[in-house]
Amino acid sequence: MKRPALWLAVFFFLIPLSLIGYRVLRLGYPLLPTSPVKAWGLTMEIFFEPAGGDGNRNGKEIEIRAGLPESRSGQTVIEQRDLSGTLQLNIMPEGLNQIGVWSGDPEGGGGLSYRTTVLLNPKRLRKPKPPGPESFPAIIGDKSEQILARRLIERYSSLKAPDKLKAIVATAKGIWGEPAPDDSDLKQWSSIQKKYGAEKALVILLRLADFPVRKVQGFVLSEGIATQPDRWIAVWTGQKWEHLQAETGDNYSESVCLLPLMIGDAPLVSISGGRLQEVRWSLSKQILSQWRSHFERIQRSARFLDRWSLFAIPNQFQEIFRILLLVPIGVLMISVLRNIVGFPTFGIFMPVLMALAFRSTGLSYGLGIFAGVVLIGYLLRRGIDRLRLLLVPRLSFLITFVILAFTVFALIGSKFGVREFMAVGLLPFVILSMTIERFFILIEESGAFQALRTAAGSAAVAVITYKIIQIDPLQLTFFVYPELLFAIMGLLLLLGNYSGYRLSEILRFEVLGEKS
Amino acid sequence: MILRQFLSLRKAGVLGMNRRNRQYIMGYNRRSSFPLVDDKLLTKQLSLKHGIPTPPLYHVVSHHGDIAGFEKALVDRQEFVLKPARGGGGSGIILITDRRDGKFVTQSGKMISRDEIRYHISDILSGIYSLEGLEDKAVIEGLIHPDQVFGKVTYEGVPDVRIIVYRGVPAMAMVRLPTRQSDGKANLHRGAVGVGIDIGRGKTMDGVRRSGAITHHPDTGELLRDIEVPFWERMLLMAARSTDMTGLGYLGVDLVIDIKDGPLLLELNARPGLQIQIANRKGLLERLETIDRAPKEIFLSPEKRIAWSIQNFAEPRS
Repeated sequence: MKRPALWLAVFFFLIPLSLIGYRVLRLGYPLLPTSPVKAWGLTMEIFFEPAGGDGNRNGKEIEIRAGLPESRSGQTVIEQRDLSGTLQLNIMPEGLNQIGVWSGDPEGGGGLSYRTTVLLNPKRLRKPKPPGPESFPAIIGDKSEQILARRLIERYSSLKAPDKLKAIVATAKGIWGEPAPDDSDLKQWSSIQKKYGAEKALVILLRLADFPVRKVQGFVLSEGIATQPDRWIAVWTGQKWEHLQAETGDNYSESVCLLPLMIGDAPLVSISGGRLQEVRWSLSKQILSQWRSHFERIQRSARFLDRWSLFAIPNQFQEIFRILLLVPIGVLMISVLRNIVGFPTFGIFMPVLMALAFRSTGLSYGLGIFAGVVLIGYLLRRGIDRLRLLLVPRLSFLITFVILAFTVFALIGSKFGVREFMAVGLLPFVILSMTIERFFILIEESGAFQALRTAAGSAAVAVITYKIIQIDPLQLTFFVYPELLFAIMGLLLLLGNYSGYRLSEILRFEVLGEKS
Repeated sequence: MILRQFLSLRKAGVLGMNRRNRQYIMGYNRRSSFPLVDDKLLTKQLSLKHGIPTPPLYHVVSHHGDIAGFEKALVDRQEFVLKPARGGGGSGIILITDRRDGKFVTQSGKMISRDEIRYHISDILSGIYSLEGLEDKAVIEGLIHPDQVFGKVTYEGVPDVRIIVYRGVPAMAMVRLPTRQSDGKANLHRGAVGVGIDIGRGKTMDGVRRSGAITHHPDTGELLRDIEVPFWERMLLMAARSTDMTGLGYLGVDLVIDIKDGPLLLELNARPGLQIQIANRKGLLERLETIDRAPKEIFLSPEKRIAWSIQNFAEPRS
């Protein structure tokens, strides 16, 4: 190995090593991406019917409002994804809630879907804020009912807030303690409970005892996975919020985490300009790498290296970098597979672009579409061969064909609801066209066997590269530590210095090796 | 396991693609010299200047506007070769052996109209066959009538001799014999047969086709071994002098033997393939390293270099 290349490579390894070392030792970054952190994925699907039936809606706008989770004490929303098609989503705070408003003309479509990932971090509880005026809902019930309720709780007025709360909850459930109230009061109370429901009856008691109260809709995050939102009552006891199950008034057990979506009386999902058909929820527990959870910390930090992080750029641009950072991993793979293993491929970087495209089409669909387009393209190329087209118009002709094939795939996909076919537009069309041309020339010059071998080699390299860039921790690692790109450059320097045999040459020169 | 395989290749002195590219092509072939060999027209002019014989040049078409004039330039030549100046791997070459009723007869007996020839020239000019897809020139030169020494082991076409020259010393040689599959072309990747030549004696050895070892020509069934190559020393000398002429230290020299004119330089290759090792059943790296150990004075003249090569690379008598 030539010395300068080696030293340069060492230098390139030292840069990320020192930066990462600093981040790990001084800024407390995690070193390994594997330590799991609990997070919950919540998916909401809303199906609706635009008002006015078919045809005569005159482009009337529809508006759907839904309570969404937000980052608050002990929980961080780390990802929100909106798949609502033609509707536009605006997320705005409203009182205590984070409201997602989808608006626009649904153009006949009747569904939207929203996905979010919430990271639970019980250690990062902020000091609870005392309630504002919104936590004092008007007391309901008529005069006589209020008098009765007031009488029932009168005797707890001397207790401290937490004990008073316990006593009131017990009262609501019918555990009266001594001395028991007289029969007519009891009878009247149970009729109140029947009239308003257990939840409201409890709220009446709590409000009359001057507790700030919030009615909350949301999800109970526990091992058994819920598919319908729950309701609970949050009561301020002076130091913290107590959460009571709406139906029974019982406290939730310690291990349970609550994910509030809507505080107050507003419905969780509402619509104007249409009719709700169905709202589906699904909750799933996810294991996230710790690096991802670092997102939150990095975003707020004032440290230099924290601020100079890819997490600091807006979300939509982060996505681009997540993909861009995969490219160096991909080209590293190509270098290894071509120069050390010895795969034959069409064009040098074609498999990387294929691998990136497979991310949206999926592997089997991607390979299938790719093979289909190349095959049909090959036949077409054969057909036009005798026309003796000049190079540039001929390649342009093939590109146009590829785009046409994409269009047909997308139309078939939309007809039969195959999303992968519609994602076909992300395949690298120029590369595909060049592949068709090269495939044709290779078949002409070296025979079908050689051409198929090269095609298989390209596909294999694309699949291997795809598998590697799909490794989530790897993606994240590069996102958290973009300085690792220097390490890739260092590796490429070393690879470029490799003068040894390729694995494929073991086979190729087998005859020669055996002799000795 | 893999390491052992690598060691066994290394022990056999096999040259791999990576080492060829890094150590020999990048190490000995200056980029600025590449055009001399990538453009057959430049190679031809250079050879002419250095007195190395090449097939006679009839005409060059450089612009689309000149295509019509090609026939006039041919005068009444009945046979010629039409090829792209910067073509690679033998693509875009047409051999014309006769002219009948205003049409051209190719070597395989196909009739080609004047218009088709013009189309082909136009294709060449727009760079369809050129290595980088750049604009190209069409070269029209004399047709080779191959010496019949390889007649029995050739299916149509013109067999050619490839000599790898390292630092001006012939290191390894083979003859490439067209087959039915290679369509009369002498390119190994098209299915032609490669047969190693004993540099010391100028005699053929066993052959290779694709990746498999063979002893007989697949189409004619004749034995490949022990054919004596005529003009062997002259060919070695031509090859050795190509290095002085181009300044390329690692070179593939392609020669043909014309029945009338004897050996002619057909083209040079700055990135010669590795298949020659299989044709010779011998690693090239071993030879290259032997050349590196050769005494300094042999590099002084091409004659000394080939004498050393003949002496050192003769196959042991079997």
